[in-house]
Amino acid sequence: MLAEILRFELRYQLRSPLPWLIALLLSFLAFMAMTGDSVQIGGAIGNVNRNAPSVILNILGTFSILGMLGVLLLIAQPLLRDADLRTEELFFSAPLRKGDYLWGRALGGALTTLAIYVIVALVMVIAAFMPWLDPKRVGPFTLAPYLWNFGVLIVPNLIFIGALLCLLAVATRQLLLVFLGTMAVLVLWIVAGAVLQDIQHDTIGSLIDPFGARALDRAMRYWSAAERNTLLPDVSGLLLINRVIWLGVSAAMLVATHVLFRKQRPHARKRKRARAEADVAPVQLRAVVVPGADARSFGGAATFRQFLHQLAFDTASVLRSLPFLILLGLGLVNMLAGAGLSSNRFGTTFYPVTAQMLRTMGGSYQFLLYLIVAYYAGEVIWRERDARAAEAADASPVPNWLPLLAKTGALFAVVLVFIAAGVLASIGYQLWHGYTSLEPGVYLGGAVIAALPFGLMAIAAVFLQVLSNQKFIGYALFILVFALQMVLLSMHFEHNLYTYSGMPTLVYSDMNGYGHLLKGWLWFEAYWYVFAALLLVIAAAFWVRGAAPPWRARWRQAMGALRGAQGAAAAVLALAFIAIGGWIFYNTNVLNEYLPADVVFDRQASYEKQYRKYKDVAQPRIVDVRADVDIYPQERRAEIRGHYRLVNKHDAPISELHVSMDPRARLRVTAPAAMQVVVEDPRLGYWIYKLAQPLAAGASLDFDFTVERAERGFTNDGMPPSTGGGDLRSQLNYNGTFFNNVTMFPHLGYNESVQLLDRTERRKRGLGDVPRKAKLEDEAARGSIGFADADWINFETVVSTSADQIALAPGYLQREWTEGGRRYFHYEMDRPMLGFFCYLSARWQVRRGEWHGLPIEVYYDAKHPYNVDRMIDATRKSLDYFTANFSPYQFRQVRILEFPRYATFAQSFANTIPYSEAIGFVADLRDPEDIDFVFYVTAHEIAHQWWAHQVIGADVQGASMLAESLAQYSALMVMEKEYGREHMRRFLKYELDQYLSSRGGELIEELPLMRVEDQPYIHYNKGSLIFYRLREEIGEDNLDRALANFIRDKAFQQPPFTTTLELLDYIRAQTPPAKQSMLDEMFAQIVLYDTKVVAASSKRRADGKFDVHIEYEAQKTQSDGVGRETPLPADDWMEVGVFARKAGESERTERPLYLQPRHITQNKGAIDVVVDAEPFEVGVDPYNKLIDRNPDDNRKRLE
Amino acid sequence: MQGLENNARVPDMLSIRNLSKSYGDVQALRDVSLEVPPGMFGLLGPNGAGKSSLMRTIATLQDADSGSIVFDGIDVLADKDRVRRTLGYLPQDFGVYPKVSAQDMLDHFAVLKGYVQRKERAEAVQALLQQVNLWEVRKRKLGTYSGGMRQRFGIAQALLGNPRLVIVDEPTAGLDPEERNRFLNLLAGIGQQVVVILSTHIVEDVADLCSRMAIISKGQVLMSGQPREAIGALRERVWSKLVSTAALPDYQQRYTVLSTRLVGGQPLIHVYSEAPPENGFEPVVAGLEDVYFRQLRSHGNAAAHA
Repeated sequence: MLAEILRFELRYQLRSPLPWLIALLLSFLAFMAMTGDSVQIGGAIGNVNRNAPSVILNILGTFSILGMLGVLLLIAQPLLRDADLRTEELFFSAPLRKGDYLWGRALGGALTTLAIYVIVALVMVIAAFMPWLDPKRVGPFTLAPYLWNFGVLIVPNLIFIGALLCLLAVATRQLLLVFLGTMAVLVLWIVAGAVLQDIQHDTIGSLIDPFGARALDRAMRYWSAAERNTLLPDVSGLLLINRVIWLGVSAAMLVATHVLFRKQRPHARKRKRARAEADVAPVQLRAVVVPGADARSFGGAATFRQFLHQLAFDTASVLRSLPFLILLGLGLVNMLAGAGLSSNRFGTTFYPVTAQMLRTMGGSYQFLLYLIVAYYAGEVIWRERDARAAEAADASPVPNWLPLLAKTGALFAVVLVFIAAGVLASIGYQLWHGYTSLEPGVYLGGAVIAALPFGLMAIAAVFLQVLSNQKFIGYALFILVFALQMVLLSMHFEHNLYTYSGMPTLVYSDMNGYGHLLKGWLWFEAYWYVFAALLLVIAAAFWVRGAAPPWRARWRQAMGALRGAQGAAAAVLALAFIAIGGWIFYNTNVLNEYLPADVVFDRQASYEKQYRKYKDVAQPRIVDVRADVDIYPQERRAEIRGHYRLVNKHDAPISELHVSMDPRARLRVTAPAAMQVVVEDPRLGYWIYKLAQPLAAGASLDFDFTVERAERGFTNDGMPPSTGGGDLRSQLNYNGTFFNNVTMFPHLGYNESVQLLDRTERRKRGLGDVPRKAKLEDEAARGSIGFADADWINFETVVSTSADQIALAPGYLQREWTEGGRRYFHYEMDRPMLGFFCYLSARWQVRRGEWHGLPIEVYYDAKHPYNVDRMIDATRKSLDYFTANFSPYQFRQVRILEFPRYATFAQSFANTIPYSEAIGFVADLRDPEDIDFVFYVTAHEIAHQWWAHQVIGADVQGASMLAESLAQYSALMVMEKEYGREHMRRFLKYELDQYLSSRGGELIEELPLMRVEDQPYIHYNKGSLIFYRLREEIGEDNLDRALANFIRDKAFQQPPFTTTLELLDYIRAQTPPAKQSMLDEMFAQIVLYDTKVVAASSKRRADGKFDVHIEYEAQKTQSDGVGRETPLPADDWMEVGVFARKAGESERTERPLYLQPRHITQNKGAIDVVVDAEPFEVGVDPYNKLIDRNPDDNRKRLE
Repeated sequence: MQGLENNARVPDMLSIRNLSKSYGDVQALRDVSLEVPPGMFGLLGPNGAGKSSLMRTIATLQDADSGSIVFDGIDVLADKDRVRRTLGYLPQDFGVYPKVSAQDMLDHFAVLKGYVQRKERAEAVQALLQQVNLWEVRKRKLGTYSGGMRQRFGIAQALLGNPRLVIVDEPTAGLDPEERNRFLNLLAGIGQQVVVILSTHIVEDVADLCSRMAIISKGQVLMSGQPREAIGALRERVWSKLVSTAALPDYQQRYTVLSTRLVGGQPLIHVYSEAPPENGFEPVVAGLEDVYFRQLRSHGNAAAHA
């Protein structure tokens, strides 16, 4: 019997369109994910193959979750179908065991779902053979990842989802409640993802995710590209536990389903009805006299009141409906969870400033509100029809637009209620966290801005519903339209003029508010709202009352309706749409350049093709810079009149000047006057001038220029047009201007930093391999540093700004004055400094501190006073350490300047450190347990005054180690003095996590530390780990002495510049002979460890002491650039520790009973030690000083 | 039409002329012409006869391919909004929002019907709920109402705003006899000055209630007039006989069998015949049902069910 039910169910399902639609949609997504970059699910980046096992696991794993919403209909509906169609009595009266019926139906749905995943898997197999894929990035086909996926993820998840759906269906008997139950599980998955972002909580995050995706993430987190391309994770550890737990839960749910399932339908409602009838006395006949026949009114004001009533009526119905309330609850839970977890990568939280709360709300509502709006559009529009009350309502004397507008309005109300609830919850959250500087204005603006895009979605959904005149077709069309937009976007059709509801970025900065971004955003919003209004007029014309006529008649009717006033309205709206569109086009494409990503790539490619040949043409170097810079914040404009003194430091005369300039600024060269223009290419930013007289070796030349940069109107994405390189997009702002000489000053020679780096995009444009940095051993490349046209310069500038702002640049303030309603500041540096300088202008508060008489100033926004003192303190302590251990500080002042959150970094210029409002200023450091990354970042930037501003490496491999890794080490030492070693361990754990998890995403090749080529995860994260360990191995004094000697010899050096090879010589000189080979492993190789305590036991001895026995395994491997590993023999000194701790207390309270380095020479072994007190835990490399691929198993508690 | 008599109001009259409507190949209405005077008008026809199409068209919810409908000087097909102001419509299979109370729902309909003043609206809602005897249970959710209560709610909704044209489509389907009785009593209370069109496939509804009627089948009007006259025309022409099941086909071939009903397990047939048929037939007093089936038979409608 089971077989018959199953057979029937399968046939029923496979003949309905739904499974095929789901299969089509998922296949489409899978195909896009496998073959393009617009859908990024799998993680196929860099050296990871398009069809790498890890990619297949990720894509199919994600689909096993996303597919849930579709699967819902396939599994839950069969169980509810008979109740819906009132056919259940037919089945239940048949001689049929309930199990056969129940499981036949459920299994039918499950098998259909499985078939869908098989189809998707097949599409993925085929997708890997698409001809446009880079053949280097397609691995051989293997079946194993698919089998693994079906075995470990898809089938168990299907069982889980199926069991959940069956249970909900049987228990609630309502599709809607089943749907909500599923949503709740989805939220659990999202929360698990948020939890997992912080490595403190990764165990719990891995376990609470019912789909095992988080555990899978964690299992593959540290995989290199080679591993991602070849390996499948072991089903062990957290992944195994997760699978076992959730299969157990599934089994329990299946049993519960079986028990709860009854073949009778509940009769509660019927009984109630019968009672109701009995209550009613017989009708008495009376003549119909309805009062107020004349009380009725029509048209004009009456219609408006009818509209308001209908609006209130529909709104109330939604707000009172159970799914709305549940979804609102989910949204709020999601939001508050997000607010609690919104932290940086060190696990430190931010103050709940209003803008931050609004960002969190936006992020956690996004997906949910789109869903709600789309879903309720169908519900509200067809409410009358679903209740079979449509014809009565349709026959009432109201115009077509009335219900249409009222129902659209109800959707708006839903959005507003959602957002208002979010705002209230945010305020509650702020107060609960003792944060009381509430900003009602920001909330109000933020709420409106957050709501508007959803209103557009609502109108689109309403339009599609009305047009299709069928709820589910309306839903399908909605999904289709947005899938189509996604495809267009992936083909670089990026203009918001044809992307429905397309908006520029809108970032709220506490410093700059919405700034200039608001204007363009509002214009686009107006544009799409006019369009949406047009949609509504058209929808009103197509509005069906009563029976829907066939399409042709409907069309005729609609055209008829559009002839009158409605038609006029449509025409006016269409004209307005075109007019606003024209205005927008004028701004985005005429005043500014519209540059979709592919065009930017093309430009980068042609820049490289045309001008890279001049890369090695000898150019003079800039030795003096003088500039008058006028900043007009309100106009977002800056004018520069600059002067360079150029010197030919080469042996041969120079006859041509190659000038490059960011093409977004307008450059005019005014001197030398007698030059012949050979090439003039302002579009790509390249000029070649032939000098009247070649510049002789050693001779100098005055070079004068003006630069003007003005942001006019607004752009398509809100930010100024991109050049493809660099991250500092919005430089000229109303409050918080920040630019540097890289983008705003002319340079000499070819600019390598704007080259196209994406391998696929290069291949498409016929460019060769990605250009690499010069080899470490390339002596010829040692003539310049990263800024190719200058090394040490004399610097003097006069900068002016509006009267209400302060303008800053490196150097010391000589004079400040006001002239013509503008403020002027004259800065001069009294010694040569690095040819890298910046200008800032903003309304700041200033707090002053000092260090032995040396002024420290922090320029910060009035809203962000929290951590200013800490920055000053960190500056003092950094100066203490660096001057005591490295060399004197070369400047007479330190200034820290806050800038808006359009970029999130801090950057060190001579005596001047711009610091983004998004990183340190709002960190909540009140909990002393939290990692004080504000202190750390400040120390790091101060350290750059030594590492970069005193010693700078040649522009070869390893240059960023000299600047960044040394700054990391220096900051670590300052921080360790302040917070102690325990804090450092926690901090370094994040560094280790970051390093290991970034390796798999390497785009080109992982290099050893001393050969790093601007790879942040190496020069920052690995740099920290290596230098901290080096300090442990050779001692802080020795390492600092090496660094001090290095500075002594290399500071303010002229070419040839230093390299990591030279630094290593200094370090080697301070390293005992036994540890020399270790240096090679740390700096010249990629060496990974995997240490593990396998077993540990202890025994109390007669004398009260304890014998502790530790069994360990220690693997050591060497990796190549893509992560292929070869084993190395174990030969390291590792710390072995035995710790005491009271049960139930945290690791922070532990006391080492034994902690000694032991020479480990075996991959497996045992260690015995005797300790005085009862041990709690043992560890080999317990503090993770080595780069350990599984840092969590280095310790083990005693049984 | 007669001329105007002083200031006396001409009774409203619904006049349907040559109305046709087809859905693709299916002809729903064929050249339908009807004159409907005030009072209760029964529209009788089997399922699928086109009754609902006709009702929906009169109720402004469907357009016709050709023909005209005029009510009280209003062109119903063109000036829909004016008709709607004076229309009361109880659609077939009328449903309600299950989670809304009767009072709130009727209040909502009252707004749509033009009662925008709160006080007058409340009065109208109260009067109608009392009228249909739902006042006691007005606070209860409509989802808990029985079928009969819902239909009464439906008629209350239709009577909002004192309509002069009331259309009631298959209102008694699915009601038990007691509910049906109550409902028909209610309909009978609607004033005689109002045009009320009741569509039904149940002959008794029309027989009990309507002073005028029409029979419609396959989109065509087979007859229209007063039930009494139609029944009178069949006087002494309807005969009945108990026959055996085996002989039934033979009778059906030889006579115009209007209906077959089982009495104690044996078929009792009604036959139309101008002269007395063979022995064993007895004359019966014709009913509206006989009129109905006679019309269907004579127009070749083979559906022989009663």
